[in-house]
Amino acid sequence: MKKKLFWPAVFIGPYFLLFTIFFLFPAFFGLYVSLTEWDMYNTPEFVGLQNYAKILFDESSIYYDQFRLGMGNTLLFVVMAVPLCVVVPLLLAVLLNSKPKGHKFFQSILYMPTLFSISAVMIIWSFLLSLSYGPFRTWFGMDFDLKSTQPWAWICIVGVTLWWCMGSNLVIYVAALAGIPVDQLEAATIDGAGSITKFFKVVIPNLRFQLLFTTVTTTVAQFNIYGQPLMLTGGGPNNSTRVMMMYIQENAFGKGISTAGMSSAMATLMGLVIIAVSAVQLVINRRNAR
Amino acid sequence: MKSKSRNKKIILTLAFVILAVICVLWLFPMIWAIFTAFQSETEIQKMDFHIIPVDFTWENYFKLFNNDSSPVLRWFLNSLVVATGHMCLVLVVVSLAGYGFTRLDFKGRDGLFLLLMATMMFPSVMSLIPNFKIVDAFGWTNTYLAVIVPGAAGVTNVFLVRQFMMAIPRELDEAAKVDGANHWQIFRHIILPNSKPVLMVVGLFSFTGAWNDFLWPSIVMSDVEMLPITPGLQLLQGQYMTYPGIAMAGAIMAIIPTFVLYLFAQDKFMQSMSLGSGIK
Repeated sequence: MKKKLFWPAVFIGPYFLLFTIFFLFPAFFGLYVSLTEWDMYNTPEFVGLQNYAKILFDESSIYYDQFRLGMGNTLLFVVMAVPLCVVVPLLLAVLLNSKPKGHKFFQSILYMPTLFSISAVMIIWSFLLSLSYGPFRTWFGMDFDLKSTQPWAWICIVGVTLWWCMGSNLVIYVAALAGIPVDQLEAATIDGAGSITKFFKVVIPNLRFQLLFTTVTTTVAQFNIYGQPLMLTGGGPNNSTRVMMMYIQENAFGKGISTAGMSSAMATLMGLVIIAVSAVQLVINRRNAR
Repeated sequence: MKSKSRNKKIILTLAFVILAVICVLWLFPMIWAIFTAFQSETEIQKMDFHIIPVDFTWENYFKLFNNDSSPVLRWFLNSLVVATGHMCLVLVVVSLAGYGFTRLDFKGRDGLFLLLMATMMFPSVMSLIPNFKIVDAFGWTNTYLAVIVPGAAGVTNVFLVRQFMMAIPRELDEAAKVDGANHWQIFRHIILPNSKPVLMVVGLFSFTGAWNDFLWPSIVMSDVEMLPITPGLQLLQGQYMTYPGIAMAGAIMAIIPTFVLYLFAQDKFMQSMSLGSGIK
């Protein structure tokens, strides 16, 4: 018996240990903590669903306001950013796939920003988009700060996000486009299909799996938006770009007494939304595939 | 036939022009940042927006490196240690697990793997607070371990490596087994060398992932001296709100290592994407 388990322990043991301690256990621990009142240092005090009740239904609670505002802004951002981060790289991938001069070089440039650290990217963009140091006053005679005026603040955040994370989807589409059988495209041409018909009748169906994959991964990733508003707008103007992750972070790790239990409940609710949205996307795609 | 080739030419030219314009837009912030880091503070404050420095100067970098409240060089070293450490840990643990899941027959192997797969959908935000508490309980806050270890629990890498190792022909191990090799020897001399392509990709992404991690290190490192450069830059931004030159120099510092990696291993980065989405 002991001998049988020796090799599995050697090979899978190390990873399984890490997985259990830093992935599996925290998942359940987090759920439990969301049912407690907890300041992160004393023993968590079990309070049942009280945190959830406050967040979802108690209009007098600040956590109710935080969740509505934070979740609302996060959803707004997801709805704006995800379609752009899927469609724009798809169109660019089609252009790249026609193989114009320098297409490899273009692709490397477009992919590059995904590898840059978010804080470095946000420092550069926050100066570039500012009235005092950016080009907007000198070049376009602009007289207001983009980042502190809506809807420009959102446009800035979404635009920078597109610049920063479009590359990985782009590369996925380029690889998939290269794999479309040439005879399918030729057959469509012989049938007299124009470029647009070809795009919808041949390209999109062939990329169905990649489009699903990128939509789900992009959605999950964008729900976690944090660094962009933190460093570009600081959540402003008037908290209009304050997102869920900012509240979760502040409540648990910010100044003052930690309300980690409440923060965990918020994180769990957001997690459930993420799971629900990706499940819905999967189901819709399955249905369309039939 | 003639009009078809002319059409093709027009499409190619159009594609080239659109892509060129977009690439200029894409590069513009980076180019501006690089040049602004060489403009003196007075030049930036006094003159209208311009890109090429009138008086080329290193003073921003000089000031950046001589600031004790934002020790950028220290942060840079912290990042190197943390990213390298994380990469090594991931490579060891994940290649071992990949072998275990593809070459060992033991009860519950597939069940275990299904468990991993099922947790893949689990949103990371839900384990943020518990993970902090665990790391704190180990006494790891303000140590490199806090940033090196927990991230290695991620499931995606195991999945990629397992996928790759499954495709390595079984005949190779069988031949070694006949020669009397045990599992460790087969792993070390057959599977590991053959898995180099996928391990390169996993290694590169573990390194850049750890280098670019923002929220997690800012939570577990309360000591400014221990911060990696990515979360460190947030402090720098607060300090140099009205000094774009110095702030840009800091941003460039954080970008250089991943940029250099990209220059040398571009094709690896590109491959990874098809590895990742190749899961069917």
